[in-house]
Amino acid sequence: MDELELLKKDWQNKEVNLPKLSYDDIYKMIWKKSSSMVKWIFYISIIEFVFWAALNIISSDPQYMQNLKAMHIYNVMMVLNFINYGIILYFIFKFYMNYRKISVTDSSRNLMKAILKVKRTVTQYVWFNLIIFATSIIISLYGVLIYSDEGKEIVEVAIQQGNEMTFWFLIIALSLLFTGVLLVVIWLFYKVLYGILLKRLKENYTELRKLEV
Amino acid sequence: MNKELEHRFVTELENNQNIVHKVCSLYTNDRDSHKDLFQEITIQLWKAYPKFRGDAKFSTWMYRVALNTAITLYRKSKKRVQTQDYDSVIFRIKADEYDDTQEKQLKLMYNAIKQLGDIDKALVFLYLEDKDYSEISETLGITEVNARVKMNRVKNKLRTILNP
Repeated sequence: MDELELLKKDWQNKEVNLPKLSYDDIYKMIWKKSSSMVKWIFYISIIEFVFWAALNIISSDPQYMQNLKAMHIYNVMMVLNFINYGIILYFIFKFYMNYRKISVTDSSRNLMKAILKVKRTVTQYVWFNLIIFATSIIISLYGVLIYSDEGKEIVEVAIQQGNEMTFWFLIIALSLLFTGVLLVVIWLFYKVLYGILLKRLKENYTELRKLEV
Repeated sequence: MNKELEHRFVTELENNQNIVHKVCSLYTNDRDSHKDLFQEITIQLWKAYPKFRGDAKFSTWMYRVALNTAITLYRKSKKRVQTQDYDSVIFRIKADEYDDTQEKQLKLMYNAIKQLGDIDKALVFLYLEDKDYSEISETLGITEVNARVKMNRVKNKLRTILNP
């Protein structure tokens, strides 16, 4: 393409028109803060992590523990918590490793791979949280209905009125619906949050991947 | 970070700043974004500088970091319009410059390049910088054959934009 050759010459001649920064200008710049996307993705995932952890700690007061014991689900919940924290520790480690791997000197393709890996880890983390969340809700509902005084009363009334089957069906349907709606809301929030940050990046990545085929 | 390292880095960047300016002029459309991207690239270069061992030339290494930043790390402002902005830093044609056919053709070419995707732009940029395919492929992390194939496609794309 002749035009491109022409352009190449012109391009190299245009260097005289380029802005010229002084030593001091550049020196000042190296102390400014980076606003890079990866940094923001990392920050948001940390904030997210703190949010989930805080939610867990806030909800675990002594009164709550007593309630759990009364409902005979204390052990199950404790085991669940134990697993939860173990896996969270694993994720902290992974977040850290991913962040360290993002090195600017890698090739564009490797850099994008690393960024997408950060995203994948965050996705896994959120799904893990959603599952733990759903499991806790279901166990709690079970505990409330079978063991708490109010729950027992409700169940008894339902049995006396003779529609036990309908009652259980409704309870299960309602709790499933409730859990489902909550999960969808959290998932949507997550989708929007990272979707915005990663949209352009994903386009570039697919383009780079197409090159390999 | 010691003072000596700082001084060496800033001096090298000052001497090679044209590379960064050229990347900025391709990936941004106005002066402010140009400045933003220049700054972001400078920060990324400085962050990566301790790892730069001098096994490549400083300028080669700069190409890589600058392009990676433009393609992957830089958050473009939402206001960015896809239309051609004649005020862009290096493509501005001075009023007293007379507009012969060749000049007009070049202007159209630059505008066509601006319409390409991020990766295509990177390819064109390295091509204009007279880099060979081995360096292009290394910078983008693809094979040499693919770089050639892709470059041909980009040329075709440019042709379509220029002769619709």
